[in-house]
Amino acid sequence: MQTSRPLFIPVILGTPRQGRRSEHVARFVLEELTKREEIETALIDIRTLSFTTTDAGEAIKDAQFSATMMRADALVLVVPEYNHGYPGLLKHVLDTNLKEYIHKAVGICGVSAGGLGSTRVIENLLPVMRELGLVTIFWDGNFPSVQNLFDASGKLLDQAYIKRIDKFIKELVWMAKVLRYGRENVPREK
Amino acid sequence: MAKTNAMICPQCKIETNYHAEKIDYMAALVEPDAADPAFGGILEEIHTCPRCGGIETRRATAD
Repeated sequence: MQTSRPLFIPVILGTPRQGRRSEHVARFVLEELTKREEIETALIDIRTLSFTTTDAGEAIKDAQFSATMMRADALVLVVPEYNHGYPGLLKHVLDTNLKEYIHKAVGICGVSAGGLGSTRVIENLLPVMRELGLVTIFWDGNFPSVQNLFDASGKLLDQAYIKRIDKFIKELVWMAKVLRYGRENVPREK
Repeated sequence: MAKTNAMICPQCKIETNYHAEKIDYMAALVEPDAADPAFGGILEEIHTCPRCGGIETRRATAD
């Protein structure tokens, strides 16, 4: 399946919390995406977005964020697990768009300080992804005990994650290509 | 529900691909009379341009 445009796969860093270790994960995934010629990427840090909290949903769309979601062929969400759930601000941000997501791929990287965490936040996000029209891949990025995976500067300490994220990215790219072809060429049944 | 006339990408001036419908529940709160009673919301057609990937939408109409 040939495509003239590179795939655009931004990484959304899904927490504004000070001291977040998810930033190390987001930058690691961004770096791995950047190594691939067929992919353009960008880091979207929800801390830097300025959505009001006096309203919600598409009523508070931000033109730049919507344009980025419109252009995206797939998303990577890097999401910490807070009290077994995802950060409320991430949901607030994602809810500002809808048509921009439909029939696009999404892969989720869960992050936690605990050894058993990160899978729960991914599972909790799946129904949200589905309702937004995103198509989830079946590979996840699991980053439990994240404080042991990166040093203070963000350097990866466990090289096995390079191999793991490679599988994640390959599946995401396949799904992104297929869904782009579908969006642009396969008509819905009339 | 589908309209028969094609949508045209405003940028590329070519026909878009109509690949999805989505129910807009919030729009139905504003315009309850426009809601499809079978779905409880307003149906939106989702179209994508095969050249630039741009997304266009419009309200679906009953057929």
